[in-house]
Amino acid sequence: MSEENNQNKSRVTESSLLLKDLLIPISIVVAGLFVGAGLYLSGGPSPFPGLEPIVAQNNEAADLTEKVQPPTEDDHIKGDLSAPIKIVEFSDFDCPFCHRFHDMMNDLTDKYPADEVAWVYRQFPLEQLHPQAPAVALASECVAEIGGNDAFWVFADNYQQARGGGDKTPHAELIPQIVVQTGVDTQAFTECFESERLFPLVQADIDQALETGGRGTPWSILIGPTGKTYPINGALPQSAVEQLIEVALQEA
Amino acid sequence: MINVLLRVFGHLSYTLVAGVIAVTLIISTILLPNRTSIGQVLSSDVVSLVDKSAYVFSLLGSLFTNFTTASAIYLFVVAILFGINISLLTFYIRKRQVASKNKKVHLTSLGGFTSAVLGIGCAACGSIVLSALLSTFGAGTLIVMLPLHGLEFGLVGIILLLFSNRYLIKRIEDPLICPAY
Repeated sequence: MSEENNQNKSRVTESSLLLKDLLIPISIVVAGLFVGAGLYLSGGPSPFPGLEPIVAQNNEAADLTEKVQPPTEDDHIKGDLSAPIKIVEFSDFDCPFCHRFHDMMNDLTDKYPADEVAWVYRQFPLEQLHPQAPAVALASECVAEIGGNDAFWVFADNYQQARGGGDKTPHAELIPQIVVQTGVDTQAFTECFESERLFPLVQADIDQALETGGRGTPWSILIGPTGKTYPINGALPQSAVEQLIEVALQEA
Repeated sequence: MINVLLRVFGHLSYTLVAGVIAVTLIISTILLPNRTSIGQVLSSDVVSLVDKSAYVFSLLGSLFTNFTTASAIYLFVVAILFGINISLLTFYIRKRQVASKNKKVHLTSLGGFTSAVLGIGCAACGSIVLSALLSTFGAGTLIVMLPLHGLEFGLVGIILLLFSNRYLIKRIEDPLICPAY
């Protein structure tokens, strides 16, 4: 009888020790599961396209980059349309990573001849993160329509440079300032901007960015000489983009 | 606590394990966002091995261009804590295995290991490790609503890892005795 009691006591002790030993790790696991569940339950298709905030939070589970529309003369392009390497960038004028990438792309296009590497700029404003970004994108489209490709690039370069350099001037002041720098007719610009009639162009670019797998900015697609596409996720260093260009050329 | 850390990391092998794990995690995290293009380049038949390596190596520079300062700091802290966690866990398992074959020890270790994995997973929301997974889950919606845009999960992960490490250290400190009752 006494031996049986001791055995029972021993089993109970073992169970309580096991529980004690496992309590903390289990608590941690449960806490982790709660965090995971919170993330999971917030799931489903995002009602806000392109919301993921950090540049490199793109989903590349499937390579959708082949769906990218080939650049045309209607695009904002730096370099020749016939260049064997074309880098299509989907960018947000108010994204700090885009400022970095813009600088890098300017250096890159300075380094390579225009008939070798071309840079195509498409709009991907992330409104939930940068509420004024769609307005800047619209302004740039108006500048492009009025002043052409060169005026667009003056706007894009100057705006990205200003924001990248820490210029905190309110949008309502900075946009007109840069529009003046582009040399376009300001009255025509105001009419275009206030009518918002070019916003479908911005929206078409956003749709294209999402369709090709973009979930953050900058989101770029390198199109090689054979038409093969390579995703560039985020603000990669120049050396990486140059290396990818070499790879694309070798694969031609 | 410091004594335990000195005892564990006084062995070169445990320091190496922690270091290798931390470095692997950091490199993987930096490369993960561009895994598709890495796959394309590495699987190419015409690209030389040198160019393949050069591309992957050049992507490591993304740490300075593709991360915020905060997310880079989180990444390093989480990677180091995770490395320490695995080393402590290994030490603990070995210590206990020598003394006992008791299953509860293994269960406890498994709990610590799982918590460490979850810890790094959570931290990754802010530091990009599982960003692709989060995007799949549509977690971007939640992330944007948070004041730090998801870096909160990094903090939770770090706290979980610290908790897990503290627990393991405490278990290592416990003397190997038979319970009195």
